[in-house]
Amino acid sequence: MIKVQDLKKVFKPNITAVNSVSFELERGEIGCIIGTSGCGKTTTLKMINRLIEPTSGKILVGGDDALSVDAVSWRRKIGYVIQKAGLLPHLNVKDNISLLSKIMHKEKNFIESRVEELMEIINMPYAQFKDRFPIELSGGQQQRVGIARALMEDPPVLLMDEPFGALDPITRNSLHEEFWNLNEKLHKTIIIVTHDMDEAFKLGHKIILMHKGDIVQVGNKADFLERPANQFVEDFIKGQVHE
Amino acid sequence: MNKLLFLLLLLGSFKAFSIEPLIIGSKSFSESLINAEMLAQLLESKGQPVTRKLNLGGTKVAFDALNHGGIHVYPDYTGTGYVMILKKNGERDPIKVHEIVSKDFLSKYDIRWSKSLGFNNTYALTVRADDPKFSYANKISDVSGKLDRARLGAPYEFMERQDGYKGFAKIYNLNYKPSNLTSLNAGLMYNAIKDDQVDMIVSYSTDGRIKAFNLKILKDDLNYFPPYQPAFLAKTNSFIKFPHLKAAIESLEGAISEDEMIEMNDQVDRLKQRPSAIARNFLIKKGLLEGSVTKSQKDQGILSFMISRKKELMKILGEHLLLSFVAIICALIVSIPLGVLLTRKKRAAQIVFPIVNTIQTIPSLALLGFLIPILGIGFAPAVLALFLYSLLPLVRNTYEGIKAVDRNFVEASRGIGLTNMQILLKVEIPLALPIILAGLRTATVIVIGTATLAALIGAGGLGDPIFRGVATVNSNLILLGAIPSALLAIAADKFIGLVGNAFVSKGIKLKFERQA
Ligand SMILES: Nc1ncnc2c1ncn2[C@@H]1O[C@H](COP(=O)(O)OP(=O)(O)OP(=O)(O)O)[C@@H](O)[C@H]1O
Ligand SMILES: [Mg+2]
Repeated sequence: MIKVQDLKKVFKPNITAVNSVSFELERGEIGCIIGTSGCGKTTTLKMINRLIEPTSGKILVGGDDALSVDAVSWRRKIGYVIQKAGLLPHLNVKDNISLLSKIMHKEKNFIESRVEELMEIINMPYAQFKDRFPIELSGGQQQRVGIARALMEDPPVLLMDEPFGALDPITRNSLHEEFWNLNEKLHKTIIIVTHDMDEAFKLGHKIILMHKGDIVQVGNKADFLERPANQFVEDFIKGQVHE
Repeated sequence: MNKLLFLLLLLGSFKAFSIEPLIIGSKSFSESLINAEMLAQLLESKGQPVTRKLNLGGTKVAFDALNHGGIHVYPDYTGTGYVMILKKNGERDPIKVHEIVSKDFLSKYDIRWSKSLGFNNTYALTVRADDPKFSYANKISDVSGKLDRARLGAPYEFMERQDGYKGFAKIYNLNYKPSNLTSLNAGLMYNAIKDDQVDMIVSYSTDGRIKAFNLKILKDDLNYFPPYQPAFLAKTNSFIKFPHLKAAIESLEGAISEDEMIEMNDQVDRLKQRPSAIARNFLIKKGLLEGSVTKSQKDQGILSFMISRKKELMKILGEHLLLSFVAIICALIVSIPLGVLLTRKKRAAQIVFPIVNTIQTIPSLALLGFLIPILGIGFAPAVLALFLYSLLPLVRNTYEGIKAVDRNFVEASRGIGLTNMQILLKVEIPLALPIILAGLRTATVIVIGTATLAALIGAGGLGDPIFRGVATVNSNLILLGAIPSALLAIAADKFIGLVGNAFVSKGIKLKFERQA
């Protein structure tokens, strides 16, 4: 479904943020990119969304080549959620979710029913929440609206940069559950960037461990616990896993 | 044949209806206003339409306007032309000075001087008649070297000009202490000497208040001051364009005696009569105009005064609003895109902001002075000056407002697929709106206040009565302009606040409340 090949990013003057990253995810699969701070997770994600132009490499989604179309229309096809959701404070919940659809002049009735449907999915009743502004929502609610906004155009791929990072542990846990159940229904291909190995183990079909711009190991929970690729992976898991 | 006649008639009547108005200027003191009014009313009685640009802010403004076609005629004094414009000095004979200015103005500027209107209005060193300190003095030489404790008040213009204070003090050995010298508005210095705020003033010899306040003129026994004979100035081609102009001016030549001028000035300065009414009465008495003399008006309270001037008030209020509105709209059209552009181009911001900041610090009168040679007088330079003054708050607040938008919101918007223009219009500007609106309010208050100065360059507005009031020490006139302009500024500020607030998203207001 999504295939990333030899992705590389060198910032000016000569900072190699991402050296060579390749991985693949099937439809409905969740991949978690994890690694120490500054290892290139956000840069990788932004390249996939074309917020950052790759220095070299290839990105394919369902056979479409990301780098052969224009950046704005590519971004419209990919769902994108950033930390703290990035909800626009001057728009209410409904307008935040439907911002892009309105700009693209989608039909009004369609927008209305789609927003209503998405708000059911994220467990925020339409009538109760549609007119609220971001400042009138809790952190967890903001995060759910952020996800709904990313799903509005029904993208095949969802990119999420530390989506649950700013939440307290209890909210985070319940959102994990919800999110997992949600994707059982939606079957999106999802990439989540995280700092938290627990989160990666819980949500990721595939875990992609990065270090200094390169991938160290790709695999599932069992692979990491039973067959760590090297000493760094072992140390990383030890430092991170609190079970 | 009939058709041709009809066409000719039509053309003729068309021409009659479209006579170009003759623009008369004056400086902003009573005598100049009265003299200009006389000529204006004479011309109007002959069917020549007249536009009045009275209250021009000084010799430079009035002369530049005449020279560059902003006005067609205005009254000035031979001594002023001789000293201030030709930069000459030395000759004291009135006839010779008149000859010199007539000849030089014609060759240099193609401007003609009329014959003198009759009186002479020169500077005069003046004291209180009952001041025991000066009971012995009748001529200026009498007080030479005896002034180490005396306080002098003089008009700004006198302290600056070539035949002014410096040479005067030197020739007569006037030994004032520098700390005892005060520059004053010419209209206000008479009250200052009357109320013992100063001991001596450099007055104008035809001012009515010399008699009314029981002041005494010390004779210029060394002939320091040049003659100041009033006359009308106009370009040669104005006499061709306006056939009634020559006769109208000629009928005023030699027509006004010194006593008559003193009396008329007193009527305006002290007794608060309108210059137009005083000029009219004079013309009627001299048989130059038909009609009956109007009685003098009583002192009025400000409210009844305003009501009696309702028509004038509406006119200048309209002018003021138009000036301010056009300036603000132009400034908005320029500032918002400029402010946005500067957030994108750091280098440009480093160049543009110092320029806009500097414009803001130029004193408004000086800015108007710069603009006259380029744009003449009237609406255009006034609007341009106001426009320039409102740039800073608008550009700066647009710039700061957009800079202050959290980059996360921009990134999130770009991430979901908004173009740069969509991000600007749907995200950055709505988020910056409260700050941009604050800039608009500041700019509007500045513009409405500064627009009062437009009167000094003949653009009208609420400043018109203010400057006439200052010139003639008439507080009713000052208030006639000052009260509406203050109210207008407050009202505009509140109005923009209210209307603008309706455009600010509730989400942002809630956020501000939460932060407060
Ligand atoms: N625009 C840029 N210009 C130059 N260097 C950059 C830029 N963006 C990121 N970098 C550098 O690239 C490296 C990778 O950054 P990136 O944001 O991808 O890290 P990350 O893995 O997301 O870290 P964190 O967990 O702290 O978010 C860092 O060293 C960072 O300083
Ligand atoms: Mg990051």
